[in-house]
Amino acid sequence: MSTPDPDAQLAASILTGLGGVENIEEIDPCTTRLRSLVKDPALVDAALLKRAGAYGVMINGRVVQVVVGPRVDTIASDLAELM
Amino acid sequence: MVRDGARPGEHKYLAVRAYLADLVTSGLAVGDAIPSERSLTEQFGVSRMTVRQAIDALVTEGVLERAQGRGTFVAPPRADFEMRLTTFGEEARRRGLTPGAEVLDAATVPAPPHVAEALDRATGDPVHHVVRLRTADGTPMSIEDSWIPADLVPGLLDDGVPESLYAALRAHDLEPTWGEETITAADGTPDELQRLEMRGTQAVMRTVHRTFGGDAALLYSRTCYRGDRYSVFVPLREARPTLVPGTRPAGTDAGRPVQPGRIPEGSPR
Repeated sequence: MSTPDPDAQLAASILTGLGGVENIEEIDPCTTRLRSLVKDPALVDAALLKRAGAYGVMINGRVVQVVVGPRVDTIASDLAELM
Repeated sequence: MVRDGARPGEHKYLAVRAYLADLVTSGLAVGDAIPSERSLTEQFGVSRMTVRQAIDALVTEGVLERAQGRGTFVAPPRADFEMRLTTFGEEARRRGLTPGAEVLDAATVPAPPHVAEALDRATGDPVHHVVRLRTADGTPMSIEDSWIPADLVPGLLDDGVPESLYAALRAHDLEPTWGEETITAADGTPDELQRLEMRGTQAVMRTVHRTFGGDAALLYSRTCYRGDRYSVFVPLREARPTLVPGTRPAGTDAGRPVQPGRIPEGSPR
């Protein structure tokens, strides 16, 4: 297996911060953000997401937006592998 | 044009308005006078009030402008600024307009909470705050509040406000590489309407913007654009596939390219 790159590590941290794969209904990759719909927003750890490298976290009901910047493409691919 | 349920007289007003709007796009040039109220009254067989209502609507939209005592003329086209990582000055110049800035305020201040949050600093950390009225060919276009972390460019304001904040950042090897902007429609405050010299509509667009250079937050700004002289141009691209858990195709562990799970467009969110 290849050594984990920073994007893959961020992808893994994002999944953890969103409460794990089980808590995710879907993730919609935008140009600079991941817009995710989670089952239980109480399981989302915004502080962890920011520590992991997110530039912002907006939580509105079950919708959690994680600002990741232009790396969104590679992070989305990494997320797809983990989901 | 004539809708069911239109109030009596409304279709006449709409007809005059559509005629004038069409004249502006196909027949007249910027600065040309529109036909007189009297001739429009005769041409459409409507009251002077109806003609004025149509003209007023187009003045409010910024399509026409009135010159006191001289008549009504075709207004200059709106500036259609593209949403991309450029500055007001760069966007204006690319449209053949001469950008200008009137500094309304400039100081290094302790970051308020919302500024600190946006710039990834602690509340109270020093930030340069610049408020400028932006003009294009001398016409006020927007009021721009910008904040830059003082630690990035300590002497930013030492010789007055630089003409271009981006240029100042670049001079310190801080190259803007990406950003985000949110646009919201609003009514301008009396102070904003006065500074922007808005006479017709009170509609403005407020933007909240963050510029990054790689991982670093470089600039945060809140801008009020006048709604009658400014349009936003947004290039669109295909949406990326939505990721859904458990839809990973079999065999990805063998190193095959990964196809993210797809759900149909327009699915409930």
